[in-house]
Amino acid sequence: MKDRKALVAVLLVAAAAVFAAGSSSARTNDHRGGTLKLLAKAAGGTLDPQVNYTLEYWQLYQASYDGLLAFKKAGGNAAFDVVPDLASGYKIKNGGKTWVFNLRKGIKFSNGQRLTTKDVVASFQRIFKVKSPTSGSFYAGIIGASKCLKTPATCTLAGGVIGNAKNNTVTINLTAPDPEFKYKLAVPHASIVPASSPPNDAGTKPLPTTGAYYFASYDPNKALVMKRNPYFKEWSHAAMPAGYPDQITQSYGLTVESQITAIENGQADWTLEAPPADRLNELGTKYAEQTHVETLTAFWYAPMNVNIPPFNSLKARQAVNYAIDRNALVKIFGGPKLAVPSCQVLPPGFPGNKPYCPYTKNPGTKWSAPDVAKAKKLVQESGQKGAKVVVISPDDEVQKAVGVYLASVLNQIGFKASSKTISGNIAFTYAQNTKNKVQINVQQWYQDYPAASDFLNVLFGCDSFHPGSDSSINMAGFCNKPIDKQMHRALKLEQTNFPAANALWAKIDHQVTDQAPMATLFTPRHIDFVSKRVGNFVFSKQFYWLVDQSWVQ
Amino acid sequence: MIRFLARRFVSTLFVLFSISVLAFLIFFATPGVDPAARIAGRNADQATLLAVRHDFGLDKPLPVRYGLMMKKLFVTRDLTSYVNRGAKVIPQVTQAAPVTLSLVFGAAIIWVLASIGMGMLAGVFRGKPIDTVVMVVGLIGISMPVFWLGEVVNLFTQSRLHGSVFSWVPPLGYVPFSHSPFGWFKSLIFPWLTLSILYIGIYARVLRSAIVEAQEEDYVRTARAKGLTERRVLFRHALRTSLIGFVSLFGLDFGALVGGGALLTEVVFNLHGVGKLTYDSLQNLDLPVILATVIYAAFFVVVANAVVDLVYAWLDPRVRRV
Repeated sequence: MKDRKALVAVLLVAAAAVFAAGSSSARTNDHRGGTLKLLAKAAGGTLDPQVNYTLEYWQLYQASYDGLLAFKKAGGNAAFDVVPDLASGYKIKNGGKTWVFNLRKGIKFSNGQRLTTKDVVASFQRIFKVKSPTSGSFYAGIIGASKCLKTPATCTLAGGVIGNAKNNTVTINLTAPDPEFKYKLAVPHASIVPASSPPNDAGTKPLPTTGAYYFASYDPNKALVMKRNPYFKEWSHAAMPAGYPDQITQSYGLTVESQITAIENGQADWTLEAPPADRLNELGTKYAEQTHVETLTAFWYAPMNVNIPPFNSLKARQAVNYAIDRNALVKIFGGPKLAVPSCQVLPPGFPGNKPYCPYTKNPGTKWSAPDVAKAKKLVQESGQKGAKVVVISPDDEVQKAVGVYLASVLNQIGFKASSKTISGNIAFTYAQNTKNKVQINVQQWYQDYPAASDFLNVLFGCDSFHPGSDSSINMAGFCNKPIDKQMHRALKLEQTNFPAANALWAKIDHQVTDQAPMATLFTPRHIDFVSKRVGNFVFSKQFYWLVDQSWVQ
Repeated sequence: MIRFLARRFVSTLFVLFSISVLAFLIFFATPGVDPAARIAGRNADQATLLAVRHDFGLDKPLPVRYGLMMKKLFVTRDLTSYVNRGAKVIPQVTQAAPVTLSLVFGAAIIWVLASIGMGMLAGVFRGKPIDTVVMVVGLIGISMPVFWLGEVVNLFTQSRLHGSVFSWVPPLGYVPFSHSPFGWFKSLIFPWLTLSILYIGIYARVLRSAIVEAQEEDYVRTARAKGLTERRVLFRHALRTSLIGFVSLFGLDFGALVGGGALLTEVVFNLHGVGKLTYDSLQNLDLPVILATVIYAAFFVVVANAVVDLVYAWLDPRVRRV
């Protein structure tokens, strides 16, 4: 009797488990469908994945375009892992100079065309033909790239990218080993598009995709529509998982205030824009469950031009670093929940980051309070007291406030400072050109891929400084030969010993911080505000919210 | 009359040409405006930058650049945006025009009817309390900036009272008339009211002073002496002549609004009209779109001016001889 009771109990539990399992998978399936409605203030420009360089569309490409490799579609730090995507696997040979990829079979583009090695080879040529912004940096190490950069129209990458249709393999030969190449293959500029794609920027005409969604229509003044790719079959959940919504739209034009209201009303599901400061309280209290705050691998900084007065003096630059009250800036940005004070280049948790802050009341690993007395003394010693300084900042609310604050700090320690705002659309290129004689400006840098060089070498390496050009990302004009030499050593060391290289990058990070070509302000956090019906919010540190992995029903 | 028309036509062309050259030159005189680096993308290689500059003809001298742009705008009609590459400019303007027309026509009907009513009321009851009330209300309307008023309207209709009184208000944006006439009406009713409030105030004041003036005129006195009723005097005589100034003012305002002058209303209510297009292109420093919208706007202002002149010429033969 007892036994029978026990048996019944076991059966009941088992039945309940089966039922639960069944219903949970049924529930997951139930979530498929619906339209996810995204909002943005303005369109992100061309839709061509090999040209566009905005987070706005890179986020959407995660659900649509594939490269040979991909960043893992997962939450948190797992998103920094690179996994095979259109390639089923790859081998690195010849001391890191030759990469051989086995292409997956049976994959079709959203126009029904079969993916072949020819498409892969053509896509790599196309990076140069369409003059992709990173063609001269990320992909310049491929054999034949230098010729392609000179004459893009006739680019063949002969000997650099070789397709073998019989074995279904693609071989890429590099002029030198590049341990960061796997990251470069996983960003959208290395997306594989049909060989028949036009040899110039496709602009507003969507190119066929291989991923879970394709772009059905795009009007930069109105909206972008993504639909399920009818030819898509999930081949790797880590690289390109199937998505939940049947359709994803992104509409343009609403002001940020109206976007937040629309999401509160359930008229839309998400906004690309950061919520304005006056709405944060409302979101944090009334809509806390719909608000997601995530740390970012990025930093806000104020590059100081080391080649013109007053910041050609190291002491003057250090003085600025000592004087800035980072807590005040954190407040401007939205409070301690949204930003963390910082003094160095590499953000917390990033490869090569070793906490370091010399510019604070009690120097050590963390910033605690400004040291204005020391700053004043340094300005006196630098002989730049009374020098005129103009702080340039873009014209949006937050950056403008940061610029005004910096000017007030500069005035406090003995400079004659004023702030000047210019259109956010040209501020970035304006500040880069040495002809505009920008002394100090407000900037931020968000990583392309998780490697220390993407911050240090790109922003403060001699190779990134091009006087007189609008494209000279080293805005401080900082070219310190000994430090530059170490950066090249670290890049080389990455090929053989990644941990040792990161230890070296940590040292370089501290040296750059000591030289103060910039004042680091803070590490920002990211807010996503979604509507009530959005479920399964997954945030990848690499490409942010995985849009298609959320459901709306 | 034909000579008058021909002269107007030539001067219109000259005005359009001057405005386009001016917009073009101001654009390239702005520091840091060179679009090549923005087109090429973040941290682009120097070789890429050069190639892009060449592709967009930005390495050519200014007059050639202007000529090329005008050719693409008017002859081949395939001028594309600098910012949203591949997006053709002309379809953007032609798609935006119906939105602006819907907005401006609706608002114009409201403001003409309301201001005639208010102006007459104030004019007829000059000096009485009702005159003061109407004029103060008009002044309040004039004093409220449209972008502020629009945001306040949105605050109530989209946020605070969206759950109750205003639950019928659709999300901000335009619904084409062909999709749903009622949806079109619902999406535009608040933009119409917001845009018209400023003009109601101005036009009511203009009409009031004209009516007050007209009532002192001999012909009104004569009409009264003939024993006509006060109503007939007001509508047939005083109002009719008072409307001349009103109509010419209307022509100019209407032309400017159709040309994109309702920019702030369109931005606040997310109506993708010509004004919003102008606003976005200015924000983005997108020269091809700026040029197209500026020429479009100038065209409407010039045409409205010409129509007003024609009406004058018809009213007053002396103008034709000048």
